Amino acid sequence: MARSRAVMSIYDQPMWKSIDAGKWQLQQCDGCGAYRYPPGPVCDKCLSMDSTWRDLSGRGKVLSWVVFHRKYLSDYEPPYNAVAVQLAEGPIVVTNLIGPEPEGGWIGRDVEICYEPDAEGHTIPRVKLAN
Amino acid sequence: MSLSKVAAVIGVGQTDYVGDYARVRAGQKLHDSYGYAALAFNDALADAGIARDAIDGLIVGPTVAYERVGELLGINPTWGGQRDAMLAVIEACMAIHSGLATTVACIYGNDQRSAAVQYGGPQAMGGDLFLSYVYHSPWGYTSQGALYAMMFRRFQEMTGITEAQLGEVAVAQRLHASLTPHALMRQTITIEDYLASRYICEPLHLLDYCLINDGGVAFIISEAGLAKKIGKKTPVPIHGVGRYDLNRGATSLEPRLLDFYRPAQEKCAAQVYDMAGIGPKDMDAVQVYDSFSCHVPFALEGYGYCRSGDAGRFMQEDGISLNGKLPVNTAGGHLSETYMQGWAHQVEAVRQVRGECGARQVPDCRFVHYNSDVAGKAVSVIYGK
Ligand SMILES: [Zn+2]
Repeated sequence: MARSRAVMSIYDQPMWKSIDAGKWQLQQCDGCGAYRYPPGPVCDKCLSMDSTWRDLSGRGKVLSWVVFHRKYLSDYEPPYNAVAVQLAEGPIVVTNLIGPEPEGGWIGRDVEICYEPDAEGHTIPRVKLAN
Repeated sequence: MSLSKVAAVIGVGQTDYVGDYARVRAGQKLHDSYGYAALAFNDALADAGIARDAIDGLIVGPTVAYERVGELLGINPTWGGQRDAMLAVIEACMAIHSGLATTVACIYGNDQRSAAVQYGGPQAMGGDLFLSYVYHSPWGYTSQGALYAMMFRRFQEMTGITEAQLGEVAVAQRLHASLTPHALMRQTITIEDYLASRYICEPLHLLDYCLINDGGVAFIISEAGLAKKIGKKTPVPIHGVGRYDLNRGATSLEPRLLDFYRPAQEKCAAQVYDMAGIGPKDMDAVQVYDSFSCHVPFALEGYGYCRSGDAGRFMQEDGISLNGKLPVNTAGGHLSETYMQGWAHQVEAVRQVRGECGARQVPDCRFVHYNSDVAGKAVSVIYGK
């Protein structure tokens, strides 16, 4: 069984570099201000090719969540969760909730980005419940 | 321009799902995807009562190479290509309408079980075409089931649909499979069995997931006038088709999580109902692409079979089995009949309209609506008398 692997287009590389540095950045469109995820060459709102990498605020809200009970990847031992989070900047990302689990529903909870090392020395951004 | 009744299905064919399932599980492999495709094509030719040389269009499924299928079957067509099940139907109608072909064979074969095709993990099938299948892997988020589990959890939060209500899908389709001699899973189940089945990606249970098996499907679509002359059975016209895609935000799951594909379904529904000149109240049965059971409640709401937010109650009280108000996936679907990626659903729709379905026949079946909401697009086809 293979381990997880990031998709690494030339547009993804700066994002993962920023994550390794402990500050997740995404492209903000120079034309209309929209944030882009996954990273890419062009803005889907205004088609501008120009963008600037910006630090994320680190804030977001849980849209949905699942728990894996089947093993698909050597570095993920079930059960483990995955959450879809809408970032304050707009894009939706899929990540994992670490730390204490919410009492009652997960959906709508405020979360903040934190950083964890993986087995190969890379950094993975996850979220925990906001204070 | 309308494609209504431009073309009709004159023949359908399939492989021996039950026999091949047993053989593959016993470690035998008689065929690969091409062999299954050829078996299904011969079956469809026999059902239509036509010779191979009547075929002048060839559309193959995404699991086989177009040229190689044409080579193996000895078909030099005037129109050809590679499409998934629903787009094969639409493209056949378009080719016929434009005069580029008169009789189109649509052929699928898949050895996914014996070839151990992976639908999750780093080698997930389709990852080269759909970035969402592989992009979230660094967070352990993989498999198409997980995409729909995430979507269904939010749908639960928004509509209040319960797991027991979702279980109606697996239970109804298993009942239908029990009445279908060629279906793989024929032992009936209860809601309690469903709830007791293990989670794969919670909130989805094992019984919410499609089967994985080897097989092939073929259908032959001919120009409507020609269909009446060359086929041995009464042709089944295609009354309408529809399509709408939601590509924006696809990888970040935005159309799934924020909209449940609803805008695509509504646009697709308007197109297909307009073209056919009928609506949901006229349908005698519905076939839904059910890689996961939750496609069914999404479709019931999106295509106007019940009010928004009411699918859970509709399935439980009105019913989606042959005993209920609206029979859905009348042969058992991907969950219990066979996982032919939407191709076998077309065959079942045609057989229901023909009245060939024996114990699972919908009485006086006039119209069957097929719809599919996978891989970012909503597609519909209406078959009828
Ligand atoms: Zn822009």
